[in-house]
Amino acid sequence: MKYYPVQVADDIGNLHPRKHLALAELADLGLQLEGARPDQKAGLKASLASKQRQLAQHPYSQKLKAFEQKAQAFEADLKDKQSQWQNNSPYKDKRVAKLDAELKAAEERSAFYQAYQELSYDAELAYLISQRQQLHLPGIIQQQLDLEKSLAEKEALKAEAEKQDRGAVKADIAAYRKQRQEVYQNKLADLKAKERQGQISSKALASERKMEKLALKEDLALKELEDPVKGLEEQIRSIKHSLKVGIKEKYRVMQADISDLRRRTPVEVTAKHPRKFLLNLVLPGLAQLANKQYIKAILFFLGSLFIGFAAIPYALGYGNYQGQGVAGLISLAQGGRRVDRSIIFMIEGIMAIFLLILALAIYYFAIRDAYRVEKKRIKGIRPHNWFETKESLESHGFPYIVSTPALLVIIFIVLVPVVTTILLSFTSMDPKHQSKFAWNGLANYKVIALGQGVAGKAFWHILSWTIVWTLAATTLAILIGFILALLVNQDRIRGKKLWRTIYLLPWAVPAFITIMFFSVMLAPNGILTELISGLAGYVVNVKNDTTLTRIALVLLQGWLGSSYIFLLCTGILQSIPQDLYEAAEIDGAGSWKRVQHITIPLLLYQIAPLLVTQYTFNFNNYSIIALFNNGGPFVPSKYGNLAGSSDILISYIFKLTIENQYQALGAAITILISLVLMFVSFLGFRKTKAFND
Amino acid sequence: MSIIKHKKSSDLYLSDKPPLTSLGKVFLALSYVILIAWAFAIIWPLAQMVLSSFNGNQGKAISMAGTYVFSLDNFRYLFEETYFFSWVKNTIIIALASALVTLLIVSFTGYAYSRYRFSGRKASLMTIMLIQSIPTFAGITAYYTMHNIFSSVLPFFSREALLVLIYAGGGIASNTLILKNYIDSVSTELDDAARIDGCSNMQVYRLIIMPIARPMLAIIGLWSFIGPFMDYMLPKILLTNPQSYTLATGLFTLINDVRTMNQPAFAAGGLLTAIPIIILFISLQGQLVSGLAQGSVKG
Repeated sequence: MKYYPVQVADDIGNLHPRKHLALAELADLGLQLEGARPDQKAGLKASLASKQRQLAQHPYSQKLKAFEQKAQAFEADLKDKQSQWQNNSPYKDKRVAKLDAELKAAEERSAFYQAYQELSYDAELAYLISQRQQLHLPGIIQQQLDLEKSLAEKEALKAEAEKQDRGAVKADIAAYRKQRQEVYQNKLADLKAKERQGQISSKALASERKMEKLALKEDLALKELEDPVKGLEEQIRSIKHSLKVGIKEKYRVMQADISDLRRRTPVEVTAKHPRKFLLNLVLPGLAQLANKQYIKAILFFLGSLFIGFAAIPYALGYGNYQGQGVAGLISLAQGGRRVDRSIIFMIEGIMAIFLLILALAIYYFAIRDAYRVEKKRIKGIRPHNWFETKESLESHGFPYIVSTPALLVIIFIVLVPVVTTILLSFTSMDPKHQSKFAWNGLANYKVIALGQGVAGKAFWHILSWTIVWTLAATTLAILIGFILALLVNQDRIRGKKLWRTIYLLPWAVPAFITIMFFSVMLAPNGILTELISGLAGYVVNVKNDTTLTRIALVLLQGWLGSSYIFLLCTGILQSIPQDLYEAAEIDGAGSWKRVQHITIPLLLYQIAPLLVTQYTFNFNNYSIIALFNNGGPFVPSKYGNLAGSSDILISYIFKLTIENQYQALGAAITILISLVLMFVSFLGFRKTKAFND
Repeated sequence: MSIIKHKKSSDLYLSDKPPLTSLGKVFLALSYVILIAWAFAIIWPLAQMVLSSFNGNQGKAISMAGTYVFSLDNFRYLFEETYFFSWVKNTIIIALASALVTLLIVSFTGYAYSRYRFSGRKASLMTIMLIQSIPTFAGITAYYTMHNIFSSVLPFFSREALLVLIYAGGGIASNTLILKNYIDSVSTELDDAARIDGCSNMQVYRLIIMPIARPMLAIIGLWSFIGPFMDYMLPKILLTNPQSYTLATGLFTLINDVRTMNQPAFAAGGLLTAIPIIILFISLQGQLVSGLAQGSVKG
């Protein structure tokens, strides 16, 4: 901003004339300068500069300063007085004493500031607020007093009533209860009889019973109130509730009213450019303190505590479990102690970086907040007080606050491990370099691409089998499920419910149990092995034969996976409106034509996006490979000693990483297939509503 | 009229469907043959498991060679000689904790993403979707070491706790989307009315959104509960002591490890594990399938 604006704006957007005469003059000059002819500009500029320099000497500034000093003294004095009033209050109740002292202070302020209303907007606001307090506070105090009084009265009445003999009333209530319960029992018996005769359903019986029970409870509670003590207890409870909640609510209304005044009354400052926010570069929260937003400042100071005592020390290596903070990422414990492990250094370095990102986020928000507040203030808008900040935090900050736990879990449970894996793929972590390893660039990717070494030898074989496996197993499951759904849902098939229940079983039995059981049955001497051998006429050992194992795996996954597809398709088939078929029939379409032109297109259209998940699921289907034959049979000449011939990429990674300690190589493969999977899923959900919404 | 009078009532064709052609009859018969064959393919192996679990005349391996002797020996072995009960207990604790943590986190994020238009919403939603497609195993190397680091700071942070966080953390993205879609489909009229009556954000969440979203929350909770029962890989990596195994890793020791091998006992354990889950799935199949389907597509 080059010149002071002629008018100041408030939070609602209304413009107000300046009360600060010195600033008003400067603003006028600025306006003249903008519309001035070039030859006049120099003179105007000089006078503007001199006036700006002598801003503090301007008579108005002097007056304002005098007022401010006086107001400061007055406020300090009033503060003492207020606490005295509160302590020596005629009211015993502490809350009332506080409210009363507040009211008295408001009266004093109103008297003091009234005279200065025209001098500055601050004085006007103080005056308006004190007026508003005088409007609200007496009502609140009165309500509190009234409630307390009636509470005391009721309690006295209750004590009185308790002394009296209430035998008759109690007997009456007891008699009523007995009679009412009898009525209830009779009604229940009646309802049960009706249900038995089939007049009402069991569902209706249950809901009727509930209603009767409710009515019984209500009637009894109502009758109880005839006992004077019970009635009074009820009233006392309600009064206590209003004391607790009602007063608070009224006070809030007053605060909301006051913040409305704050929004409507502008503020005038001599600063032209935001500067104080720079304080936050030193320590987040300082600028908020300078803006007199104390609680906000405390919150940001808490953030500073996190930065100063957690994030930065951790990043520098203090308080680490073993590592050196961010530096550990570069050194990877090279030349460190014997017990130092590179992987720990790496993970701690990554965690340090995430902590630093959080710290930077706090810095950013603290500075942005202070900058915005100051910029608005220069325009004339008052900074929020705590009441307003709290309100806006509750409404605009809500989604951020409630998502924080999710963010933390995702950072530490998902992102840190994933980043670790990415970085690991560029290191030399293998069986010989377990404790200490170093960066080694793209060497792992080269090993994979060229299919070299003990570990990399099998990669291309495994990749091709993984692709075949994914396509074959998933497609088989989809075909079986699809065809079964079409068959079962024919009009003329009977016992639909039975078929559905049977076909659901492979999905409902936990897959690991079925896989393990099939594995047992197909082992040498297993039930199925013997059965097949008997049929074939020679010993068929599925688990020792690569091709047979692979076929068995595909068939088993077809068995397992078809269930879910069947259920999905059945659900969709049932939702296809019947009139489509009827219309087609009238037009002369035969039953096959109807299936071909109505059922299959509708079904495919709806389940196609879901099928992507099925393919990615099988791509990663570790359980079936590991549990069926643990990747075997082993063919060392082709696959080396690490992997078997039915291993897919995920089980290969597992063997590399967990069983044989080729972590770096495993990480590199993980990264490659994760990229592919992310791309495939991206294609899958690109078109969904949630993504475009 | 006269023709009908002469015919017996059993010959009367009353169906509103046209009579079957002979080709149709063949096709219908073929359908039944396929259906029965597939039903047999499903039931036979499961029946073998049930039979074998009650067969006392077996050695360490399942066999049907000898005569069938009904007995509960396999169950007795399972209960007395293995850690079956601690496996059940571990699995249930881990499953319950995962479901609770997931519900707690997801119910808030689903609500926030559905009802609020805050800056960074779309970007974070896209990030969430990409994170969702990173397979869980991508971090396996780190989990082990991370547990060491965490537990040095928080001694009570056990491996099971890490497992729970991994299950819950892996499900945040997809479950948030499922719940967001579900809440999106509910009109905001109720929320607006509640707000006019003075409800705060938290109150709208607690009093309006939670009851409305209860069916979907139940499904999300159920899936998060079932997940740990089905998973084999993560417990295998993280849990090392046989007593702390979950059902999947524990039962596997009964068939793959020569020292602890007892296949009939495995069949018994599998049966006991499967029955409650089968009952759950059969009674709730509609909801479970729709919950799965909702996650990936919507309109």
